Amino acid sequence: MDPRQRPLLHRRLGVFKGLAWSLVALLVLIYAWLQIVRHGEFKQLAMQQAVKIRPIAAPRGLVLDRNGYRLVDNRRALHLVIQREDLPTRPEVVQSLAQALELDPAGLARKIQSYRLAGKGRPLVLKENLDDAGIAQAERVRARFPFLSVDVAPRRVYLGDELAGHVLGYVGEVDEPMMKANPDVFRLGETIGKEGFEASGNDKLKGVDGQRRILVDQLGTEVAHFGQTDAVAGRSLYLTLDAGLQKVMQDAYGEEAGAAVVLDLRDGGILAMYSSPSYDPNLFLNRLSQEMVDRYLNNPTRPMINRAIQGIYAPGSTFKLLVALAGLEKGVITPQTVIYCAGKKNFYGRDFRCDKPTGHGGLNLVQAIAQSCDVYFYEVASRLDVDDIYATAEKYGLTERTGIDLPREKRTRIPSRAWKRKAVPKDPKWYAGETISVGIGQGAVGVTPIGLARFYATLATRGKVLTPHLFYGFRSDQSNTLEPASVAPFKDTPLDLRNWAVLDEGLYEVVQSGTAAANPFIREIAREAPFVGKTGTAQVATFVDKSHYARQAKHLKDHALFAGYAPHDKPQIAFAVVVENAGFGSTAAAPIAAKLVKYWFVDRMKTPIPPPRGRMVDPFAPPAEAAE
Amino acid sequence: MKDRVRALDSRLLGVILALMALGTLTLYSAGRNTPQATIWLKQTVWNLMGLALMLLLANTNPRRVLRYSFPAYLLGLAALVAVLVVGKKIGGATRWFVVAGQTFQPSELMKWVTLLYVSQRLGSRPADSIGRLELLGAVGLVAFPMLLVQRQPDLGMALSFLPILLIIPLMKGLRMRWVVALILLVSLGGFGAWKFALKPYQKQRVMIFLDPSSDLQGKGYQVNQSRIAIGAGGLIGKGFTSGSQTQLNFLPVKTTDFAFSVWAEERGFLGVLLALGLFGLLLSRILDAAKAAHTTAEAYFCAGASGIFALHLLVNVGMVAGALPNKGMVLPFFSAGGSSTLSFFLALGLIMGILYRSKVK
Repeated sequence: MDPRQRPLLHRRLGVFKGLAWSLVALLVLIYAWLQIVRHGEFKQLAMQQAVKIRPIAAPRGLVLDRNGYRLVDNRRALHLVIQREDLPTRPEVVQSLAQALELDPAGLARKIQSYRLAGKGRPLVLKENLDDAGIAQAERVRARFPFLSVDVAPRRVYLGDELAGHVLGYVGEVDEPMMKANPDVFRLGETIGKEGFEASGNDKLKGVDGQRRILVDQLGTEVAHFGQTDAVAGRSLYLTLDAGLQKVMQDAYGEEAGAAVVLDLRDGGILAMYSSPSYDPNLFLNRLSQEMVDRYLNNPTRPMINRAIQGIYAPGSTFKLLVALAGLEKGVITPQTVIYCAGKKNFYGRDFRCDKPTGHGGLNLVQAIAQSCDVYFYEVASRLDVDDIYATAEKYGLTERTGIDLPREKRTRIPSRAWKRKAVPKDPKWYAGETISVGIGQGAVGVTPIGLARFYATLATRGKVLTPHLFYGFRSDQSNTLEPASVAPFKDTPLDLRNWAVLDEGLYEVVQSGTAAANPFIREIAREAPFVGKTGTAQVATFVDKSHYARQAKHLKDHALFAGYAPHDKPQIAFAVVVENAGFGSTAAAPIAAKLVKYWFVDRMKTPIPPPRGRMVDPFAPPAEAAE
Repeated sequence: MKDRVRALDSRLLGVILALMALGTLTLYSAGRNTPQATIWLKQTVWNLMGLALMLLLANTNPRRVLRYSFPAYLLGLAALVAVLVVGKKIGGATRWFVVAGQTFQPSELMKWVTLLYVSQRLGSRPADSIGRLELLGAVGLVAFPMLLVQRQPDLGMALSFLPILLIIPLMKGLRMRWVVALILLVSLGGFGAWKFALKPYQKQRVMIFLDPSSDLQGKGYQVNQSRIAIGAGGLIGKGFTSGSQTQLNFLPVKTTDFAFSVWAEERGFLGVLLALGLFGLLLSRILDAAKAAHTTAEAYFCAGASGIFALHLLVNVGMVAGALPNKGMVLPFFSAGGSSTLSFFLALGLIMGILYRSKVK
């Protein structure tokens, strides 16, 4: 080497050595910063992504009928979910995920955002109740989006399908308005009852979620698990419903629309309640398809309405019993009062027609009820003020909701002067002529089938205003038997015995010799199981010429009603039946009531209807061969 | 054989064996419960082959090696061109020859061949100052293979050629104003590269470097996970094969680019201190060799080699800590890989040879 180069070279090499050790020192400083100064923070982060808390969904309680038959069961189901800690952040990931699953991207992004803000809890469900095809799709999508997971959770199965859709309701994920309204009650992602008893009995049925602490790897696969809090299943409970009677009611309606209720006179328990057309709650567990929206939500017959508690119908002649009671209690008539019917009568310058144009002649109250003479009750009403009728209705609980343990019960509409001032502010004056219409249950009068049934239960019990209810009691965990709940309170407003006797006799005569007696089927059943009741035919539109009746469009036909109780001598049940646009109460509604009575008092003892089985497809079963 | 082993410098050998041991432990832990469970064994085979190569070169006169540097340089260029044509494409880059199931990356070796040739050229000319033509010549010699490597594309590897350009001219007496000019040139070139030459993924890497939290699930995810691993290690580490980041696969590419994070997580700051100390000793001993070298060319080679090792150290160890962009530069003795291991040992063998000659004469 050139000796002249040595000093320069050595000098520079010395600098390089210094630089080399400076580099090492610099790196040491960087690592000291990360490993010593910021150790706690990173340790936390490492824990957070490796140790996860997975909620264990608690199964809801089963719902049984009064005999212990299952109406609502639980099954295992698979859901495609994102666990709370794994929610994606990047918009383009959310976008492509939505695309892969055919979900609305904006909706998904919103959901992810709200779940992120809500902290720990149930995972975000993307697709529920996966079937075989769904599982295959989920696995495909999961390969691209490793933060997805398939979660096992109990699902509801409604064994009767449409049997008691409105009564049972269905469950679903709690929605935002609901959460906002009850921020301390509901947790995001929680399954709650949305409709029917699932909703009103939610607190009784829901359990307590558990959680598992697990160690996961980068793909979210569980590697180890340390400790868990078990989920506590919700308690199973009995409804007052009788599945067999419910089935008879469902079959009796067939294609007809309407609603019926049967009440147990001992405690107000609902033995059967059906609203037609019904719906299958199983279908509401998954996201609604367009087909279902058309079938249920956009259907002009409005199947989602529980007509039994939300349908307001003019009671027609079934209301005459209340008018009679008002007249008796007000003293404007006595049980013996005879009124002459000439087929029509003029009040305040207007002719009011009777159903029988030729007239019934002279009638006492029993005959008037049996023959459903309109003129008799026009006359009674004309002797009363509308507020007298209202006061009587109020006294026997007809002006209030019945208080049934189902959500969104509508209130019965009994007109009064005060009501008209509020309801028709443009014409607040009550006209005496309007009272005449109220006398036969027309005009502004509107009742729910449950309200009507309760009024007839009041008649049957001589004044007990019961609280209809579905909750019968919890199932004891030890003995699998019913622990009866305390009977719902009722109001006792005893009817005067003489007044009651004449009404009871009138109802008896309706079936024996009156408006319902023409039907041989009804007479036959009344012999086996003597039931009493009142027919009603509520006008939907007024027809000038009744000969055209049969040719009228279906939706303009009258609503048929029948309300009563059975057996006559020692009543056990009360009922109300409404069949929409079906014509006469005697031909359309009374036969349904007769079938119910026959099953309850005769057939049930001999050939009870077997419990519902359901035709739900188990998502874990191999795909069924195409039937039919 | 005993004589031959005597050619090895004991201090350098000690550091190398110690680093090899750390690297093998790291790979054993990183490969556990993954498809790469035997990667530590494979790497041990490469290491043994490397040691043999080192032994051979230590016993070879460096002058003889330097004499072959020009044909080797030409051969290397040819290999870089060839790999672009017949190379195997993995993950969007054509960097590898496949021979008998083994992949071989010619650019790893070419880095050292280029250093060798530039050392030989500049070292064979007397004078303690560098001429403009000489400098330009050196720039050309390095730039050519660099551009070919960048064609693959492989920015990290291309950058690892840079120490040759910086260190040898400095050794030869390059004035500071030239260094300033070079830095200006590089910044301008960097700007130009950003505008015209960089591929989108390369731009993204730079962007993520500037703001790592902007992209947690993407490229920044790797560095983020690596920082968590390092930080969670703390002072004494989580223990061998007990790092959650490593064992649960949160740490990405943990047998190559991010192998050092495995060490840092499981052995903690004390382990890092040990590893970095050993690297410091390695650099220091290589610079000792430069000082002791018989010829200028040999001194240049050693100095350049220390520069390349230092760059690998800085970029890899800095990158996994999130202090530098994610370049994909391997860490000697830690990252698994045949081409890089053999190339590092080749350089170390030459350095051993240079040290040995300086002692015997």
